Amino acid sequence: MEFFEIEKGKLNTGVGLTIAPRTGHQARPRQAMGSTPAEQVHPPLSTERVGPPVRPREPLNDISLMIGGQGGDGTLTISDLLGRYFHARGLYIYTARAVLSRIRGGHADASTRAHVDPVWSQKASQDVLVAFDEDAVKVGLKELAPGGFVLADQGSVKSEGPNIYHLPLSITAASKAGNGLYKNVVSFGSLSVMLGFDPVVARGVVEKRFGRRGGEALEANLKAFDLGREIVREAGLKTPIFTVAQGNAKDQILISGNQACALGFVVAGGRFFAGYPITPATPIMENLEKFLPQFDGIVRQAEDELAAINMAIGAAYAGARTMTATSGPGLSLMTEGMGHAGTAEVPLVIVDCQRAGPSTGEPTRHEQSDLLFVVFASHGEFPRFVLSPGYASDVFDLTVEATNLAEKWQLPVFIMLDNDESENTQSTAPFDLSKVRVDRGRLTSNEELAKMEVYKRYEFTQDGISRRSVPGMKGGVSQTTGNEHDEWGHVSVNPENRRKMMAKRMNRLELAKKDLPAPHLWGDEKARVGLIGYGSTYGPIREAQRVLKEKGVPTRFFQARTLWPVPREALTTFLESVDVAYVVENNYTGQFGRLIRQELPELAPKLRPVVKFDGLAFRAPDIVHAVRGEP
Amino acid sequence: MTEVVKPIPSTWCPGCGDFGVMAALKNSLKELKVPTEETVIVGGIGCSGGIHNFLDGYGFHSLHGRLLPTAVGVKLANPKLTVVAVGGDGDGYAIGMGHFIHTLKKNVDITYIVMNNETYGLTKGQPSPTAKVGFHGNIESPFDSVLTALSIPSAGYIARGFSGAPREAAQYVTEALRYNRERRGFAFVEILSPCVTYNDTYQLWRQQVENVEKLPGYDRSQRAKAFASVLEVKERGKIPVGQIFRVADDKGVPALDKTLLPMIERSPTTADISLEHNLTKYQKLVSSFS
Repeated sequence: MEFFEIEKGKLNTGVGLTIAPRTGHQARPRQAMGSTPAEQVHPPLSTERVGPPVRPREPLNDISLMIGGQGGDGTLTISDLLGRYFHARGLYIYTARAVLSRIRGGHADASTRAHVDPVWSQKASQDVLVAFDEDAVKVGLKELAPGGFVLADQGSVKSEGPNIYHLPLSITAASKAGNGLYKNVVSFGSLSVMLGFDPVVARGVVEKRFGRRGGEALEANLKAFDLGREIVREAGLKTPIFTVAQGNAKDQILISGNQACALGFVVAGGRFFAGYPITPATPIMENLEKFLPQFDGIVRQAEDELAAINMAIGAAYAGARTMTATSGPGLSLMTEGMGHAGTAEVPLVIVDCQRAGPSTGEPTRHEQSDLLFVVFASHGEFPRFVLSPGYASDVFDLTVEATNLAEKWQLPVFIMLDNDESENTQSTAPFDLSKVRVDRGRLTSNEELAKMEVYKRYEFTQDGISRRSVPGMKGGVSQTTGNEHDEWGHVSVNPENRRKMMAKRMNRLELAKKDLPAPHLWGDEKARVGLIGYGSTYGPIREAQRVLKEKGVPTRFFQARTLWPVPREALTTFLESVDVAYVVENNYTGQFGRLIRQELPELAPKLRPVVKFDGLAFRAPDIVHAVRGEP
Repeated sequence: MTEVVKPIPSTWCPGCGDFGVMAALKNSLKELKVPTEETVIVGGIGCSGGIHNFLDGYGFHSLHGRLLPTAVGVKLANPKLTVVAVGGDGDGYAIGMGHFIHTLKKNVDITYIVMNNETYGLTKGQPSPTAKVGFHGNIESPFDSVLTALSIPSAGYIARGFSGAPREAAQYVTEALRYNRERRGFAFVEILSPCVTYNDTYQLWRQQVENVEKLPGYDRSQRAKAFASVLEVKERGKIPVGQIFRVADDKGVPALDKTLLPMIERSPTTADISLEHNLTKYQKLVSSFS
């Protein structure tokens, strides 16, 4: 298959992952998921080819388990129990939902990864597959690592193979635990033997998980757990099949990007949220529904995203720290509101939890393809900041930052998350609240206004930021409008006024630069190979850096946290320090790479786009291969 | 006193019906002694939408059709404010129709005044959703806002006035604002407001308006009867006006802002958002994820 360079505007060949062939070797595109990336690292297993599982001598430092079945099979419960167990064993966790949702409707699956070192992305292959139906085996087997095994529900799964263990999970649950639904805890019990879990800790996890529901439910679940252990022994399996190392992670919390975003907003003093349900942004609204009423805050579900952003604008104008969150289709509807907030100088935080687009696209799939839209959306021109955090605590920090920046610079601030970052959970140290500052910028007060002779909402000032009154303030009565206006807020089409007002607003893109979140740099300072990424590519890039270092390729990773205005100075320094820089992003056209080229054309020859647009996030081997120019 | 923005002279054509509406609103705010700094006028887009520039008080010029969600946001953020949304029939019944119905459903304590002239004046006379068949080639039957409002179960205050009868119109607006201040919910007032340039209907409407309250036995707290009377008046070729519906004091759906913020002093804008004040509760939230 031929490869075309994307930066020359030619057609892409349409495969999932492409890199530009400028590294001196012949780079070739690789296949999308299904035959990669797991397959690239570990040849796929099929029941014919695979011999009995090899028992690794050492306990695994990095394990990933996938659970697949029909909705209602309790896949998430197993994933959750596994996460809790590994958490208790000092491991770092990364959990993902709907890993295999490309198979037919009604299918549900989840994966749990545990690692002795911090992890922020999915493992390239699975070590264990728990299958409640045939679909799960068919798709899941392709993801299975050598030496991995399948725990299959006897009766529901027909496939056979030396690494497929059929155990009567649902039969035992129905006949002995009293309800077929307990098959999830039965499975956890079985796994605890097969993987040599500490039985006391594992049982304790079940106890903690179901303890709240009270005596009967707890007892039934504990019984299911014990039964799960028993059926492994009855089957006469040699256990453990392999074991998992113990880690040193302490005091971690397990949190998703959406949850971290909701928390960050509350802690920043956010008190108003309006939104409309949309995957994958909805959990931000749902979490805030739980949090905000405790702090005199309000969450409203609007009739559509047009209403959501305008309600948000109304609340922000009235003086509440305000957020709305959505995904691509909602963002399209919000576009007119963005321009309105920009011209009227209303501070607003807008979260875009990106999914695969355009149109309805792939609502549950991963992509980072809204960047250029967010940077340029709206008719006319207005200033905006676009931030992109890379991991849970970064989401928290940048949400606090965004809430401050919006009020300080009186404009809309965007936080770009992406599907996996929004939905998947990861271990992280509890957020450092002592660093949090609430900075309301030039929000004025009754006292300040009383001392002023004249108050003009859009007064020309040196940095273009005027004092902002809100309704209720005496002496602050003002006119706020999305029409071009004079200092008083009255509509004006005077050319000189227009020039000054445009400059007043647009200058913020330059003036605020020092105030915007700086990039994080990771890896070897002297490396000649650079990596550039943002959002959840942080995870696979950091992991790829470890692998590359082991292979003798030290790298330096520029984690962009402000995407607009483009951090030109920091990028210049970085790009001057490396020979090449791979720009890793989940979209077709290499959007951030394009922005960098536009801003720093003289350094563009060093850029190598590495893009993926098959609806799935990068995994570390994708990036390792791209850098090494491997097929 | 700090010098603040002053109302500017209106941009309306001489004789425009909007003057009557503005006078009504001005008088109502004065009568109820609403402090200027607690008044928020949210204007839409169109001739009528500029009204906030011509009045004292905080003014917010919203996007075309989006004045209602904006006004709802303002009120929910600070329920102490008197929030009046004012726009035209194109703004409210065409591009903003979805928000109109949902704001009736939400039932937030704001007053919405629609100046209905059955045309798009600012863009020079195109038929609006309320335009009669035949007006500027219009072949679609007109929409009736009062019938629509009556059909939304939470709508508790519905009136229609005529700018040619400013005293009555002012009375409806005052009642509407009072209804909001009692935290009863959303108040909707349509005011027939002729466009002297593109659809001069003064004489016609003067003959056509009929106050439903003067119908024998009319009870404005009876929704079904109000609906029937409005239909009946329309079928006779007249335009039903008056305080068409006001939910009985012991009935009705609670106002959303009252449900969410039972204490008017405690709201998103009055909350103490300092870290020190909330630290213990914040820490509890974070640790709920461990």
